[in-house]
Amino acid sequence: MAEDATKDGTIGPTFAARHRNFLLGGLAVVLFFAAWQAIFLLVPFNPLFISKPSLIAAGYVDLIESGDLFHDLAVSSVPFFAGLAAAVVVGVPLGILMGWRVRVGYALDPLMTIFYASPLVALAPLLVIFFGVGVWGKTIIVFTLSVFPFIFNASAGVHAVDRLLINVVRSLGGGEWDLYRKVMLPSVLPYVVAASRIAVGRALIGVLVGEFFAASEGIGFAISRFGDIFAIDRMFACILTVMVIAVVLTEGIRWAERAAFPWRAGQ
Amino acid sequence: MTGYIQGRSVSLTFRPPNRAPVRALGGFDIEVEEGEFLSIVGPSGCGKSTFLSILLGLVKPDSGEVLMHGKRISGPGSDRAMVFQEFGLLPWRTVLHNIELGLELKKVAREKRQAVAERLVALVGLSGFEQHYPHELSGGMKQRVGLARALATDPEVLLMDEPFAALDAQTRDLMQVELLRIWREAKKTVLFVTHQIDEAIYLSDRVMVMSKRPGRAKKIFTIKLPRPREYEMRVTPEFNDLKLEIWNTLKDEIMA
Repeated sequence: MAEDATKDGTIGPTFAARHRNFLLGGLAVVLFFAAWQAIFLLVPFNPLFISKPSLIAAGYVDLIESGDLFHDLAVSSVPFFAGLAAAVVVGVPLGILMGWRVRVGYALDPLMTIFYASPLVALAPLLVIFFGVGVWGKTIIVFTLSVFPFIFNASAGVHAVDRLLINVVRSLGGGEWDLYRKVMLPSVLPYVVAASRIAVGRALIGVLVGEFFAASEGIGFAISRFGDIFAIDRMFACILTVMVIAVVLTEGIRWAERAAFPWRAGQ
Repeated sequence: MTGYIQGRSVSLTFRPPNRAPVRALGGFDIEVEEGEFLSIVGPSGCGKSTFLSILLGLVKPDSGEVLMHGKRISGPGSDRAMVFQEFGLLPWRTVLHNIELGLELKKVAREKRQAVAERLVALVGLSGFEQHYPHELSGGMKQRVGLARALATDPEVLLMDEPFAALDAQTRDLMQVELLRIWREAKKTVLFVTHQIDEAIYLSDRVMVMSKRPGRAKKIFTIKLPRPREYEMRVTPEFNDLKLEIWNTLKDEIMA
């Protein structure tokens, strides 16, 4: 086996062996696009209903050259990041409070569960009526969708806090505020990062839905407009861009999770 | 005469939800002298750890009182510090930052905290490991950090709750020798809870045997072995006689 070869230091594993997982995954993606391109050799191609990778690539070039893609992404990124940031700032303290103060937890848990479990995108039209079609409306939609993972994970993180550490800080003269800052917040951080993986997906949905309903620019608006005018190639280019962003963000967080908490290696 | 630390008829019953109440301590009396090394041995669940928690100020007794310098203990204070059996190190903090914890909570300035922590790292023999995280340390090293952290706030009394129980036998023997050295240098009063009779004799000026639950003081043995204690003293006839005597006192409580 390739792994055994490294032990005596003579032959290292081959490139293929070292990157096997990555190569297998990449191969599947390439095959998927190849099959997509090739299937239209068998079935008739109608550019009004479907597109294929070669046309999508051309659409990409078009969108990049005109600068439309970057403009739309920049517009959409504002409510995306603002809504997510607000979700962290509100969700984490609220979750910690719910986890630590038992009565607050019992009081709020049913309400939060209802909100978390229900498809809140249904509220999007209402939120647009309340807060308008601009950045505010979209930010509120993103916030509404992404705050609950933070609340629930922070609360679960507090439940998992080692009671001994609480006693240690108390015995050394620490008060309630010290417990929050020196024990609970650090214990909860890995849970918050895990929550942000879920929240990022929900926030993307929030941006797109907000822009589908009411907007004059933004990546969600672009998708819906290109659909309306049957520019399926450019519509797919925008959709694929959103998919790539989602993958990059969630994988980036996964990577940051491993890098940021070296002390978790021993747990 | 008012003792240094006094426990007077300390009683405590735990009332866990949905389970029968447990009487941990039932009229426990104790006198501790300043600067002495006192060990407490007793059957499992006799309330010896509970007494340390009360003395630390984390738990309040149902009745009776614990006094230090004639003043009733009502909460944690910087004159007492605990070394916990399971170490209780903050996993996201380095060795140095773990040791600084108590000083940080007392709002001591950073430079001063660091100076104290660095001196203690050397005292407990962890030089070179200042920037390591707890998961990178062995059990013995973790407990050295626990000991240094307890010493950092310069308490008068060190409470040790089976501090070496989670360590393997050789590490435990080594830590006992180290603890005596540190005790000599730091000049603290030590209350040491253990299950091991040898450990109690080897370390202590006095050994208290507790009754089974609800715990009371059953008998106190004064250990007249000379100090500094040598490891070889563990195989002397005096040591073994003492061990047998304490075992016989303890045995009735375990068997009964």
